Amino acid sequence: MKKGGAVGMAPQEAAAAVGQVKAELEDVGKAAGRAVAVASAPAMSPLSETLWREKAAVEFLGDVSARLAWRDLTVTVALGSGETQAVLEGLTGYAEPGTITALMGPSGSGKSTMLDALAGRLAANAFLSGTVLLNGRKANLSFGAAAYVTQDDNLIGTLTVRETISYSARLRLPDNMPMEEKRALVEGTIVEMGLQDCADTVIGNWHLRGVSGGEKRRVSIALEILMRPRLLFLDEPTSGLDSASAFFVTQTLRGLARDGRTVIASIHQPSSEVFELFDRLFLLSGGKTVYFGQASEACEFFAQAGFPCPPLRNPSDHFLRCINADFDKVKATLKGSMKMRFEKPDDPLERTTTSEAIRRLISYYQRSQYYFVARQKVDEMARVKGTVLDAGGSQASFGMQAFTLTKRSFVNMSRDFGYYWLRLIIYIVVTVCIGSIYLNVGTKYSSILARGACASFIFGFVTFMSIGGFPSFVEDMKVFQRERMNGHYGVLAFVISNTLSAMPFLILITFLSGTLCYFMVHLHPGFTHYIFFVLCLYASVTVVESLMMAIASIIPNFLMGIIIGAGIQGIFMLVSGYFRLPHDIPKPFWRYPMSYISFHYWALQGQYQNDLVGLVFDNQDDELPKIPGEYILENVFQIDVRRSKWLDLSVLFSMIIIYRLLFFVMIKVSEDVTPWVRGYIARRRVQHKRRAAELAMVRTPSLRGYVVDAAELPADHP
Amino acid sequence: MGEGNGTAWAGALSPAARYAETGGASLTWENLTAVLPGSGGRATKKLLQGLYGYAVPGRIVAIMGPSGSGKSTLLDSLSGRLARNVLQTGKVLLNGKKRRLDFGAVAYVTQENVLLGTLTVRETVTYSALLRLPSSMSKAEVRRVVDDTLNEMGLRECEDRPIGTWHLRGISGGEKKRLCIALEILTRPRLLFLDEPTSGLDSASAFSVIETLRTLAIDGGRTIISSVHQPSSEVFALFDDLCLLSSGETVYFGDAKLAPQFFAETGFPCPSRRNPSDHFLRCVNSDFDDVATALKGSMKLRAEADLDPLLKYTTSEIRERLVDKYRISDYAMMVRSTIHEISKIEGVLEEVVKGSQATWFKQLRTLTRRSYTNMYRDFGYYRLRIIIYVLMAICLGTIYYDVGNGYTAIQARASCGGFVSGFMTFMSIGGFPSFIEEMKVFSLERQNGHYGVAAYIISNFLSSMPFLLTMSWASASITYWMVKFRPGFSYFAFFALNLYGGVSVIESLMMIISALVPNFLMGLILGAGVIGIMMLTSGFFRLLPELPKIFWKYPVSYIVYGSWGLKGAYKNDLLGLEFEPMTPGGDKLTGEYIITNMMGLSVSYSKWLDLAMIFILLLAYRITFFLVLKVKEAAAPYIRVAYTQFTVKRLERRASFRESLAMTSLSKRHNTPHPMAIQEGLNSPMQIGDINWTSITSSSKGFHNGLIKMRIPNRMSNRSLNHIIKMSRTNPTKGKASKGAIELVQNSSFKI
Repeated sequence: MKKGGAVGMAPQEAAAAVGQVKAELEDVGKAAGRAVAVASAPAMSPLSETLWREKAAVEFLGDVSARLAWRDLTVTVALGSGETQAVLEGLTGYAEPGTITALMGPSGSGKSTMLDALAGRLAANAFLSGTVLLNGRKANLSFGAAAYVTQDDNLIGTLTVRETISYSARLRLPDNMPMEEKRALVEGTIVEMGLQDCADTVIGNWHLRGVSGGEKRRVSIALEILMRPRLLFLDEPTSGLDSASAFFVTQTLRGLARDGRTVIASIHQPSSEVFELFDRLFLLSGGKTVYFGQASEACEFFAQAGFPCPPLRNPSDHFLRCINADFDKVKATLKGSMKMRFEKPDDPLERTTTSEAIRRLISYYQRSQYYFVARQKVDEMARVKGTVLDAGGSQASFGMQAFTLTKRSFVNMSRDFGYYWLRLIIYIVVTVCIGSIYLNVGTKYSSILARGACASFIFGFVTFMSIGGFPSFVEDMKVFQRERMNGHYGVLAFVISNTLSAMPFLILITFLSGTLCYFMVHLHPGFTHYIFFVLCLYASVTVVESLMMAIASIIPNFLMGIIIGAGIQGIFMLVSGYFRLPHDIPKPFWRYPMSYISFHYWALQGQYQNDLVGLVFDNQDDELPKIPGEYILENVFQIDVRRSKWLDLSVLFSMIIIYRLLFFVMIKVSEDVTPWVRGYIARRRVQHKRRAAELAMVRTPSLRGYVVDAAELPADHP
Repeated sequence: MGEGNGTAWAGALSPAARYAETGGASLTWENLTAVLPGSGGRATKKLLQGLYGYAVPGRIVAIMGPSGSGKSTLLDSLSGRLARNVLQTGKVLLNGKKRRLDFGAVAYVTQENVLLGTLTVRETVTYSALLRLPSSMSKAEVRRVVDDTLNEMGLRECEDRPIGTWHLRGISGGEKKRLCIALEILTRPRLLFLDEPTSGLDSASAFSVIETLRTLAIDGGRTIISSVHQPSSEVFALFDDLCLLSSGETVYFGDAKLAPQFFAETGFPCPSRRNPSDHFLRCVNSDFDDVATALKGSMKLRAEADLDPLLKYTTSEIRERLVDKYRISDYAMMVRSTIHEISKIEGVLEEVVKGSQATWFKQLRTLTRRSYTNMYRDFGYYRLRIIIYVLMAICLGTIYYDVGNGYTAIQARASCGGFVSGFMTFMSIGGFPSFIEEMKVFSLERQNGHYGVAAYIISNFLSSMPFLLTMSWASASITYWMVKFRPGFSYFAFFALNLYGGVSVIESLMMIISALVPNFLMGLILGAGVIGIMMLTSGFFRLLPELPKIFWKYPVSYIVYGSWGLKGAYKNDLLGLEFEPMTPGGDKLTGEYIITNMMGLSVSYSKWLDLAMIFILLLAYRITFFLVLKVKEAAAPYIRVAYTQFTVKRLERRASFRESLAMTSLSKRHNTPHPMAIQEGLNSPMQIGDINWTSITSSSKGFHNGLIKMRIPNRMSNRSLNHIIKMSRTNPTKGKASKGAIELVQNSSFKI
């Protein structure tokens, strides 16, 4: 709180906001006290209440807690060959408000699939059967109704923590909410996540050292709890963090749960301290339930099943040791290759194989009281029909979203050295080189070709260097995808904001380098000629940017994107009318349509006219008559002089719009059509296979392997 | 404490005595202190403060501690890999003697797995064996060594699987780590250092790695020292000795089994359902203080204050108590007496031959074969590029299809040549990422002294040749026949060779750039810029006679391959042909006229001379690459020495170093590593080879092959410090620059 003076906040306002938050904090304290005292009716913080009252539009706020129950949850995945694999089999469980439930299991046991299934984010080729009930009703949780924190923190590295949160708040909170309240909400969230100390530190990127991994993870969580969702899903919130940060993150999650929220997190190898913070434990192995119940009673369950946790051992380590079938493989490998020493013959795990232990545990659980209690509780929860929670998505208007996004993206671009500043430097260096090579090109006979070459090099090569911004743009796309998945804003707002925020930088870059070039080379004098040249350069660079964006939306892989972008530009350049004269370009394909699609073609046509019309050049010998520029245009460069150069420029500008539209359509397609097609193909395949009555049930290592590209898989998971 | 412990210690010692006689390595360190002098406004940092400890054959020592506690500094100073700007004092004795431990005398397994992803496990081990084992060994012997190693590391099952790249799914993380260890134990070192071998692995893989280490220790009688970060319960149970550090001070050193007892005696017993290592770290990790403060500030948890008994004290208090208690405890006494005992045992350590024992030709042959296999299997290295080249050639061929002899054909032929020499070679940039991966492997192996720079460069040239020849031959023949350049085999051969030369030169250029700028993105942009400028000065965009004389004509246009390539291409294509004049009916234009008058080039010498110039340029670029690598290796120690001298000077002005200081982590290692981030595509692409962006300390840590150790005796007078400085000023460095620098500092420290 000590750094209350937020960005752009007047001091007295800030003080007021701080005071407000403090008051609220005290209230929350009391509320939390009540929450613990009366566990059945979890309290809410005033911050949450404000927001929910807004949302629910009722005077007295009813019970807005989220009770999630799932019964006989089974997920099957269609493989490429049309076979199906059951990833989850008949899971039953529930999550109550005020508690934090941990999904644990070895890698490939179906943790993430289960989380995805509960959050309604399953991939299109995975089929779910069984019921998932939210407050006794069938739940539709996708696109923002519940908050989902993914494993990777896709944040904008150049913004500070406070900026990140407050931009997100402005993107999603309703327009009519006063700024004061928004600010208070942001400050409150910062305090709640324990981010006060680093609130004004940047997140950090490749050249900026920023906040630590744990802080980053907490910022990601803060963004999701900003809208005060009642249900919170987290995918491995502690992975990659050291023990203190992991403890802190989990402790905050526990705090969030105590605020009356329902928190479900998948988790991989928690340390002892972290494990102690969980209320309920859902232990999975190979898609089957090993244990579901109080985390503190799990030890007892394992002891009853014949696998007591040895002293001085982290219970969660013990559980995972019991149910991780990889240990069998490890032991087999080690035994085969070396003299094994059996150090603990008294350990029951040394006497049996892990797969045997898993079998015993699963069958023991099916018969145990834990299972019956869970089923009973789920039935009970299914009977009670509670409030329909359909919060989620953004409540801000389109204009607000577009405005905020533009501002955010502008701030990011101005701070990220690699986005435009680096390119500005390179452009200036390159144009100085060009300028000095073509210094004072003049109107000699040899200048005719030199002018042509100069223009083609500028429009070919200089625009080519725009590729340098591709990586930053890929980073942007990642942030967009995360926020889009959580329903923060629409695609159109993103496309518009991106166009607007890049404009000042592109104008700066092209005007600076264009001016340098123009005056060093001494192109056709006159202000309109200068303006045309610079505008033409600006339009070309923007077209290349838009082209690269469209590519990035289909091919998010950095290297492939660059290669494809370079290839397309190379071909465009080839048909632009410089390397091969327009009339000589083979008519089918290359001239129609390729050279007309090529933006280089229009830029060169315009620039040649702009440069040569009205100039008179020396001939080969002094006694021969001078050559007018128009003659050169028609005979040497084969350009139609009847068409105005401004028409060429307007074609370029319309290309910008077309490419941006294309970009928009690409995103829409990849968002809506592709999953549908994927799902359709998967269903068809499965049906086909079913008819052939070959239903092979094999255990899958991980669902994700089939959903995403293999390249995205974390390499270190066996 | 008491009798029980005594016997435990005795038990720990007996193997030491046994192995010391059979060539085992016992390492002891006494009063080990490491100081990072602050530069600029930063304060001096104490990284290690008076540590005592030992490592004996047959046992694994685990160095544990929260991040920033000095784990890796201790590991680095024991293995002689300390960054040059860190001052180290105290005694590190191997079998009771002072010895240099760098350069292959000991094995050091780094945290990052630097492997060529396309090779199989067996190939990786075999190539490494061929590179380093004596050439006199027969094939069968090498094979046996490889088999033994694979067996020992439990890698037989996956021996024929590839390691895995971005487009190839390979072995698991645990197997990768075991493979890295296998490479290090090929030469049978007695002493093995590992830097966080389990980080990033799941519990089963981590268990398999440490279990293998245990076998190496017990069956092989090796001495193993490993830093470890948050081991799971099973993994922790496998360690013999524990060295627990916090802020560079010893919290505990001794038998790992006795550590819970020590904590209980101090008043912080480990709860029964807790992993002892988690408990230890919880007690000494001062980050938990910050967490507690932050939590107190935030709104929750007031009803649950009693959740953690440790919250009653701050961690810094607990830490203080533990450190103080340990200092006066019997455990500390036992350690000192053990050290004393070990240093009395006069162990015989066979002189380990450092680096590689293979002959230069054997190295070259092995490297070439390995590199060829890698290039052949990595789709992105050359095969993708060959496809792109062929596609480009088809595009070019259709656009300039049957170019003919018209007046406009003159310009068309010239621009076709320009495009080939400009853009086709430009696409070579596509191989940059694969090349950077290979460079990583090279720098690691070079640092371990596996082979020389020259062997590497020549092998790279040889292995890439077939691919580049295929590439240029395929695209040249497509273009040549489609465009219908001047018929005749020698003309075609010239065209293809010209393209080959150009592509090779650009490749060499990109190598130089990648050696200078290891950051992927910067390299790409810089490369594109340089190639662009080269294109501009090659005589196509601006005719050579018209280039501004200063700088652009002399020297740039002469050291650019494009100008030679274009000259040759024009001569090859145009000489002897006749073209239609601009206005019909005039005299036909001869090729010679066009070249001399329109292109402004001279026809006085043969096109083959131009081609020869390209190959000379190729040679020159390769030599430059060699020099760049050499200079990089040689210059780094000088910079460090200069820096250390400067610091020593500063230190003598100061009464004591003890003005420190918050311990913060020097390493960035706990951030997620980005091994192949670029190729995975969706991870941050900027992080490739971000060596330059890390702080000086972490970048220099063990990155160069020349290593310097500053050994400064405990009570160092100003006089002796001056002596060091004088020594280092007056001693002329001899022989290899880096070696000289090392001797310089070491000699001086011994003479004091």
